[in-house]
Amino acid sequence: MPRKISILLLSLSLIFSSGCRNSRQIENAAIIENVSVTVEGGQIRYTFYRLSEGEKPWGVTVRAESFEKACKKAREMYIPNMSLAKLELLMINERLQSRIMKQDVEYISQNSFFSPIAYVTLCDGKTMRKLDAEERVQDVIEEQLILLKKNKPQVCIDYLSVFNHLERECEGFYVPLIRCDGEIRVTAKRIYADKTQKNEK
Amino acid sequence: MKDRVRFSSKRLFLTLMLCACAVILLQNYSLGRGGGFILDVIAVFSGLALSFVFFIPSIILKKKTDADLLMLARQRTPRAAVAVSIFYAAYFAYTATFFLIPYTDMFSKKYYPEVSRCVIALLLIAACVYAATKGANVITRFGIFLFAFAMLTNLLMFGGSLTALDFSNGFRIGDADSLFGDVVYFCAPSFTAVIFACLAGQGRGFTVKQPVIALLLSGLKYSLVLFFIRYALGSYADRQEYRTFVLSRVAHFGAYAGVESFYLALATMSVFMTVSLFFCCVCRSAGMSGSLRVIVPEAVFVFLLNLLTKYNQTAEALLTNKYILLFLTFIAAVVIPVLYLFVWRKFNAEKNKHIITEP
Amino acid sequence: MKYSIKEIKDRLKADFSDSADLSVREFVLKSSRGVKAAVITMEGLCDKEQLAQTALNPLLSFDFEDMEPKEISRTVLGSVIASSDVIPFDSYGELITYITSGFAVIAVDGGEKLFAVGVQGYASRSVSEPESEVVQRGSREGFVEPLRVNMSMIRRRIKSPLLVFEQLTVGSGSRTQLMLCYLHDRASPELLDKLRKRLAACDLETVLASGYLSDYLEDEGTSRLFSGVGISERPDTVCGKLTEGRIAVIADGSPAVLIMPHLFVEEFQGVDDYSNRTYYAAFIRILKYLSFLVSVFLPGLYTALAQFHPEYFPTFILKKTAQSLSETPLPVTLEVLFIAFVYEIMKEAGLRIPKSLGHAVSIVGALVIGDSAVNAGFISASTLMVVAAAAICGYVTSPLYPPIMVLRFIFIIVGGIAGLWGIVLVTAVVIISMCSKTSLGVPYMSSLSPFSLKSMRDVFIRSGWRTLSRHTIRVQKFPETEVKG
Repeated sequence: MPRKISILLLSLSLIFSSGCRNSRQIENAAIIENVSVTVEGGQIRYTFYRLSEGEKPWGVTVRAESFEKACKKAREMYIPNMSLAKLELLMINERLQSRIMKQDVEYISQNSFFSPIAYVTLCDGKTMRKLDAEERVQDVIEEQLILLKKNKPQVCIDYLSVFNHLERECEGFYVPLIRCDGEIRVTAKRIYADKTQKNEK
Repeated sequence: MKDRVRFSSKRLFLTLMLCACAVILLQNYSLGRGGGFILDVIAVFSGLALSFVFFIPSIILKKKTDADLLMLARQRTPRAAVAVSIFYAAYFAYTATFFLIPYTDMFSKKYYPEVSRCVIALLLIAACVYAATKGANVITRFGIFLFAFAMLTNLLMFGGSLTALDFSNGFRIGDADSLFGDVVYFCAPSFTAVIFACLAGQGRGFTVKQPVIALLLSGLKYSLVLFFIRYALGSYADRQEYRTFVLSRVAHFGAYAGVESFYLALATMSVFMTVSLFFCCVCRSAGMSGSLRVIVPEAVFVFLLNLLTKYNQTAEALLTNKYILLFLTFIAAVVIPVLYLFVWRKFNAEKNKHIITEP
Repeated sequence: MKYSIKEIKDRLKADFSDSADLSVREFVLKSSRGVKAAVITMEGLCDKEQLAQTALNPLLSFDFEDMEPKEISRTVLGSVIASSDVIPFDSYGELITYITSGFAVIAVDGGEKLFAVGVQGYASRSVSEPESEVVQRGSREGFVEPLRVNMSMIRRRIKSPLLVFEQLTVGSGSRTQLMLCYLHDRASPELLDKLRKRLAACDLETVLASGYLSDYLEDEGTSRLFSGVGISERPDTVCGKLTEGRIAVIADGSPAVLIMPHLFVEEFQGVDDYSNRTYYAAFIRILKYLSFLVSVFLPGLYTALAQFHPEYFPTFILKKTAQSLSETPLPVTLEVLFIAFVYEIMKEAGLRIPKSLGHAVSIVGALVIGDSAVNAGFISASTLMVVAAAAICGYVTSPLYPPIMVLRFIFIIVGGIAGLWGIVLVTAVVIISMCSKTSLGVPYMSSLSPFSLKSMRDVFIRSGWRTLSRHTIRVQKFPETEVKG
C-alpha cells in the first residue's frame, strides 16, 4: 500500500509539473476576438478587441508597423495574458491592403496559434469607427461575409485561402470589402498577389 | 500466463494498421515540396509495397511453424536467443524514441509550449508500462476502441475540411527528385513487420491477405491525408510543422471547430498503443510476458534516450533518422527471421533424418 | 450411532448459551416403553400451527406400542409426520443449520436419525417491485429476503427439470445458506467449478448480504473499479441470464441476487428493451451509452477546456462561461470539484433522510445551494449546470454509478491539472484496465472488445426477436473466454 501511495503521489506531482504552468484560465485569459488595422496620421494602428459580454467592444490600440510587432507590443505593454487562438476576424483598412496585407498574412502563416479559418476582410474607415462605437458589429460583419461566400464562392473570406492565393501569385483574386454608409455592406474587391500591380475593383 | 490466450490475427493487424497510421499523425516531414499529389501517392504505395516485403519472412515463418521468431529463438537456439533478445530490446527502444520525439515535440509546440518534453515523455512511458504489463492481447483489445475513435476523428477531420478544398492547382504529377526520400519515409510503417515477427505466435487464424489489407488501408489513410493537405491546406501547409495537425485545425462545422482536440487524443493514444506494444515485444523476447522486471528497465532506457535528445542535437538527429530506422527494421524484420527460417529447415531436416534412420 | 435427547439438549444449551429463543419441547410418546421425543425449534422462525398439525399432533396421538427407539424413528419418518418436507440427518452441524433456518427438528430418544420438518414461518416482506429496477412493461415481482421464496420465483418462470439449485453454506459464524442456480444444459461445468471454489475459499465469519461475496467472486489480478459480478433484484432478469449460461448466487436474507459472469454491455441492457419496439430499444441503448460518457467525461472536459483550452468553446458559449466564471472566487477546477462533492453529500443525505423531510432537503438543495449560491456569485451557473447534467446522466445506468463517480472525480482533477492530454492518457489507462478485466474468465468487455459481430445484435441496438432467437447466446462461447463447455 505505501508503494501504491508513493507512486500516486509521484504521478500527481509529475502531472502538476506538466500542466499547471501552462494553464490559461478562462476567467483570466484575455481572449482576442477581432483585430482591426487602421491608419492615422500615416501611422498604422492595430486594435485588439477582447472577447467580452459588455455592451461595447473593448479594445486596446497599439501603433506598430506590422502585426508581429503589434502583437509583441500589446503583450508587453497592455495585455500580458493575451490569447490569439480565438481570433475570428482580421479587418484591414482598404488603404493599407497593399502595405501590410501580405506581410501580416505571412506572419500569421508562420505561427501555429492562429486559427487558419479566421476571416480576413478589407474595410473602410467608417466601418472601423462603427465597430468601436456599437455592439454586435462584428457579428453583422461575419454574417455578411458568410452570405457573400454563399453568393460568390470565388471570394476568399478566410485567412487560409487569402494566404494560398497570395502565394500562388496568380492574376488576381477576390477579397471582401466592407463599407458602411448607414448600414454595413459587403462587396468583393479584386486584388493581386504582386503588390506592384495596380489594384482593380 | 498472458501469452497463453491466443487472439485473432485480424485484431493484431488492425492494431498494426493503427500503429502504421501513427506515423502519418506525427508527420513533420514535408513530402517533396515541388511535387504533386500523384507522386506523393506513388511514394506512399511504393513505401508500403516495400513494407510488405519486410513482412514476408515472418509470414513464411508463421505459415510453416505457427510460431514467431522469438519462440523459435528460445526453442531452437537458446544461446543465441539472449543476443536476439538484446537486439530486439535495443531496436524497440530506438523505435519508441523515434516515435516519442516527434510526438513530444508536436505536443510542446502546438499545445503546451511551456511544458517540458521530458515530463510528457515520462508520463506517457509510465502509462505504457502499465499497459505492457497487461500483455499484447489486452493492447489489441484497446486497439478496437482506438479504431472506432480513429474513424470518428478522420470523419471529423476530413468532413470538416471539405469546404476548404481548392483544386485550382490541378492534379500535378510533380518532380521526381525527392521521390526516393519520400519512399523511404513511407517505409517507416515497416516497423509493424517487426512487431508481427515478435507476436505472430500469439495470433490465430492468420491469412496472408490480413497484412495486405492492413497496408492497403494504411495507404488509403496516408493518401487521404496527403490529398487533404495538398488541396485543403495548399501552400499554407508548407509553412507549418506537423501538417496533419494543421489539417485538424482547419476542419470546422460552421461555428464549431476544435477537431484538433480529437487529433491530439488520437495521436496520444496511437503513440501510447505503439510504445506499449514495443514493450510487450521486448517482454516476449525475454520470455517473461508482462513482467515489470523487463518492462521497467526498457522504459527507463527509452526515457534516457529521450532525455539525451533534449540536450544533444547529434543524438536527436541519429534517433530520428529514417534511414537508420529502415536499416534496423531490415535486420529485425528480414535478416534475423530469414536466418531462423534456415535454422528451422535445418532442424526439420535433422528430425526427418532421425525418423528415417531410427527404424 | 444412537443419541440421547438430554445430550442434544445440553449441548445446544451450552452452544446457544441458554439463549431465550431456543426451544426444546420434550414429551413422552404413546408407547409401552415410555420412549421420549423432542421437538427442537428456534422461536419466531416456525409456524406453530403448521408444526402442531404436521408433527406434534400426529406424534402425540400415534400409538407406538412396544417399538424400539430405532423402529420408532423409522415409523416417525414413514407413517407419522404429515409433511412433504422431511429431511433425515445425523450430524450436529446440520441440526444447528436446520433449526436456525426455521425447520423444526424431531429427535427420538435413543434413535439414530434426526428429522428436519419444513415448517418455516417467519415474518417477511411481501413480494413487491424492486425500487432500483423499475420497469414499464413486465413483471412487478422482485426478490425478497427468504431464500425459498426467491427460489420459487425462479422456478415458476423456468419450469424445466434442467434448472438446478445447489445448496452451499458460507460464513463460519453466520452459516448463511446460498443457492447456486443454473441451467444444467447451458452453464459451463468449468465455470461452475470455478465459482464453487471461490465460494469455498470465502473465509468470512458473517455473511449478511450477497454483496459480501462479490469480492471473493471477482477474478484475481483484475481491476476492481468496475464490477465483474452482476446484481439483480428481478427474477425475470435472473431467468434471462440463466438461459445464456450464467450462474446466479442467491443468498438467504438478501433480495439482491449475484449473477456471473457479468459483462460491461449488460449494464446498458434493461428488461424493458426486450418488451419495447426494437427502434425504441435501440434509441434507449444509445442514449444510455451517451449518458455514461457524458456523466464520466463532461465535468472533466469542462474543467480542462476552461483551464487550458478556452478557445475550443464556441464563441457564444465562451462569452457566457468566461463572464460567469470571472465573477466567482474559486478557480474553475476547485469550483467543479466543490460542486461535485456537495452534490454527492446531498445525494447521500437524500438517500438516508426520512421521507417526510425529503422535500425540505430538495428545497434546500435546489434553492439555497443552487440558486442562491449562483446569485451570490459563489459558484457559476455554467459549472452548476455541467455538474448537474453529469449527475443526472449518471443515474441512467445506475448500477455503474460507483465507477462513474470515481472516474468523474479523477477526470476533474486530471483535467484541471493536465488538460485534455491528461484526460486522454487516463482514458487510455482506464480502457486498458477494462479490457484486461475478466469475469470468471470471460473478458469483461466482450462483444465490444474482443469484438463479436454476432453479439452486436444485442449491444448498441436490440434486434427483433426473430433474429435474436436464431442463435442462442452462451456466455462461455464468447471469444477468448478462458473456460470451455
